[in-house]
Amino acid sequence: MDNEVKNYQANRMREASHGRRLIPPCQVACPLHMEIGEYVDLVAQGKVLEALQVIREGNPFPSICAYVCTHPCEDACRRSQADKPIAIRALKRFAVEFGGDRMIELEAETTQSEKVAVVGSGPAGLACAYYLRKLGYPVTIFEAYSELGGMLRVGIPQYRLPREVVDTEVQRLIHMGVEIKTNTRVISLDLLFDMGYKAVFITVGAHQSLRMGIEGEESPGVIDGATFLREVNLGLKPSLGEEVAVVGGGNVAMDAARAAVRLGAGKVSILYRRSRAEMPAGPEEIEQALEEGVETMFLVAPTKMKRGNGRLSITCIKMELGEPDVGGRRRPVPIEDSEFNMEFDTLITAIGQAPQISEDFRLRLGRGSTIKVDPVTLTTNRAGVFAGGDAVTGPATVTQALASGRQAAFRIDDYLRHRYPLIDKEEKGILSGELSPKTIEMIRKIERLEPPLLPPEARAKEFKPVELIYNWEAAVDEARRCLRCGMGAEILFQDKCATCLTCLKVCPYHVPYLAEGGTIQIPADQCQACGICVTECPARAIVLRKPYSRRHIDEELEHALKSAAESKSKPLIIGFCCQYGLFGTGALASLWREGKAGIWIVPVLCVANLEEGHILRAFEMGAEGVFIAGCGEQCSRENTAFWVLQRVERIRKALSQIGLEPERLQTFNLRTAEGDIAEELDNFTERIGGLCLASVIKQEVKS
Amino acid sequence: MIVAEQKPLEEIRRVIVPYEKVLLLGCGTCVTVCGAGGEREVSFLNSALRLAQAKSGDGVHSFSEYTVKRQCDFEFLDVLVDRVNEVDAILSLGCGIGVQVVAERFPDIPVLPGVNTSFMGMAKEWGVWDERCAACGDCRLAETAGICPITRCTKGILNGPCAGTKNGKCEANKDMDCAWILIYKRLERLQQLEKMRRYYPPRNFRVIPRPRRIVMKADVESGEDNG
Repeated sequence: MDNEVKNYQANRMREASHGRRLIPPCQVACPLHMEIGEYVDLVAQGKVLEALQVIREGNPFPSICAYVCTHPCEDACRRSQADKPIAIRALKRFAVEFGGDRMIELEAETTQSEKVAVVGSGPAGLACAYYLRKLGYPVTIFEAYSELGGMLRVGIPQYRLPREVVDTEVQRLIHMGVEIKTNTRVISLDLLFDMGYKAVFITVGAHQSLRMGIEGEESPGVIDGATFLREVNLGLKPSLGEEVAVVGGGNVAMDAARAAVRLGAGKVSILYRRSRAEMPAGPEEIEQALEEGVETMFLVAPTKMKRGNGRLSITCIKMELGEPDVGGRRRPVPIEDSEFNMEFDTLITAIGQAPQISEDFRLRLGRGSTIKVDPVTLTTNRAGVFAGGDAVTGPATVTQALASGRQAAFRIDDYLRHRYPLIDKEEKGILSGELSPKTIEMIRKIERLEPPLLPPEARAKEFKPVELIYNWEAAVDEARRCLRCGMGAEILFQDKCATCLTCLKVCPYHVPYLAEGGTIQIPADQCQACGICVTECPARAIVLRKPYSRRHIDEELEHALKSAAESKSKPLIIGFCCQYGLFGTGALASLWREGKAGIWIVPVLCVANLEEGHILRAFEMGAEGVFIAGCGEQCSRENTAFWVLQRVERIRKALSQIGLEPERLQTFNLRTAEGDIAEELDNFTERIGGLCLASVIKQEVKS
Repeated sequence: MIVAEQKPLEEIRRVIVPYEKVLLLGCGTCVTVCGAGGEREVSFLNSALRLAQAKSGDGVHSFSEYTVKRQCDFEFLDVLVDRVNEVDAILSLGCGIGVQVVAERFPDIPVLPGVNTSFMGMAKEWGVWDERCAACGDCRLAETAGICPITRCTKGILNGPCAGTKNGKCEANKDMDCAWILIYKRLERLQQLEKMRRYYPPRNFRVIPRPRRIVMKADVESGEDNG
């Protein structure tokens, strides 16, 4: 079995046992439960290849999500309680582009004999095919249209998701050995079983636009949103005339309006029966549509329309908001005698879509003509027939469809292997809880960096992607804002804890507290994972839930010492540099490559995690000088520089007792405006050279 | 709590000279709290000693480290039996009590002190400790408003303040509060200033025999006939 699949299956168990990490809210909110904290952390370290690897483990088509995901993770992000959420989707886009996702080739071996048919090639179908191939099944995708992708191709406009991205993923699937049958509408499931397929996954999407049910809806000049977008996306250029109205407030309405702008319509108005606050479309979508000149009319609904003189005359009624409905949105109520008339050339209806399931499938349908399935196993009323995606949920997001496809693949595997379905148990160890006001007060407010956008005037003319990619520095800085929820400190060894209150006194965020019973508690939902208490704890009872600090530095240090010993360059200088913000491998590593052969960089994840032992070890193994370089006051955590200096003073005292000059240990603040770090480093190297010489002379005099 | 501080590195290096294998033994109670001999300090000392050895070029010692919950009871030391058999000496970072208990528990092995046991006190703030009790065995805090003149007055006088008090500070150290001024102010606040007007006769320290022992258990015979 493929590693990726194994990883996914092991994921749940790993989450429970791996480290003691709690699952952060972003991961809980993600339909695919991607390890968001993990890859954001890797981006913050500039480790873009590793970040992409983590992303690929949790997502079959990260490049697609990087463009169109509605990022429920960002809505759940706890940084929004302090300032603004991390730009997770944009960071994923960065990792996908800079990590070279399109270069990745995937292969899959056929290890099973049961053939599986996937009906529909939308995101759910593609994801299901992907995972079934990874599990070793022969898979055939049946697609009614001429090209694969479903809504990815016919629903989402190019400016949001370029076609090449879908093409790349489809090519990858073909390379994995998925059989593709386009222009093939499946009319009977029995036929598929007769053809030898042992299981079928129905994922035909929800392409049928809902009708408004008003007089004149059939008039020429009225087109439904799904059909309009399909025509546009398949390269047709429907003629719209000068003035276009779009009825609806969802993403399809936004897409239709923005596509109409790009097709050259002079004036595009959105008619929505509630107010902006109730619009289901993503806020960014609405914002970008407005920027492109789309006009909005709220609290209006068409009641009838008539074609005359080559134009559409539309009668609308004004609405007001009444009581909230089941979904919590306020219900629009028509205001009596408030009808008025407007004229347009074209009217696009986008008030919702539903699946259209052939009766010959003999599937039990539920509300809104969706297929009824068991939510856990995705089984339908027919044996061997599974269903997922919009056909089951009604119009939903791409990520939800991918999750549903993945779930289907694993349930089909269970079914074909005659296994009791491995049901995801209720996840333990989820980080919950709001940040307390006093924690929020101490969290450094750092502005959210948005990726650049094409200027509106450039957008309106063509279907090019609107959003551009971060540059390296912006991505790293944005990722550094992550609060690392769920990775915080915990007292692992309660028996060692001497209740000395050190953690309580050193925590910049005032998180640890003395509980009534006299034990120290470190609430996981408040901890900012700066690691200061971990290093300061005199009993060594505290660890970070992500156990990278101590061991990680040990390993990096030994590696640097070994390499240094091999190179025999003198004098040996070890530099512990913060890896966040690229200092370890970026700014300083480049200096060191430029001929400063004696300097070896040990990347650490925040210098606050550096222990005295690490520094003493560097000296013990022959370092003539050691420096610590962190981001100083630019650190995304509070007070780290203070604690580094405390430890430095202690070590300097020990050095002088041993007979070494205390100035052999230096600290540098990277990212400060004053002083050139390269020059400071040069001076330091020179000084160390001088000290070495002096000690040699001293020894010779002695002997 | 007992407060101690680690001995200077030179002194520690000097006392371990005769021994090749040295166990650095931390204590997880008082000296952990005061940052003198907990697991973190043991590890720091280990690193520092290894560095010193590497720099001086005479690499003869090998160090191991371990920290027990408490050194001042035999039971906590049982886990050390195997480790102790492998070393030539124990450098205890426990207080003076710990050193002695370890020595008593392991009679065949030299036990050396790694810290100077300083006083009984409290943490004033992170990294600062103040003495509070001299364990004189005759507590007078009821008369002195809960402020001990024995420890907190430089002279330890029972009838203060002396003429050396100035602006509430002590003549011996102008950063140090005069204990008797503190006592006066607190008595005033408690409306017990009459306690200042009494004379306390000098204490006779000779009546306290050393070493002291406290026996709490009653002197009853044990055996089957009882109860």
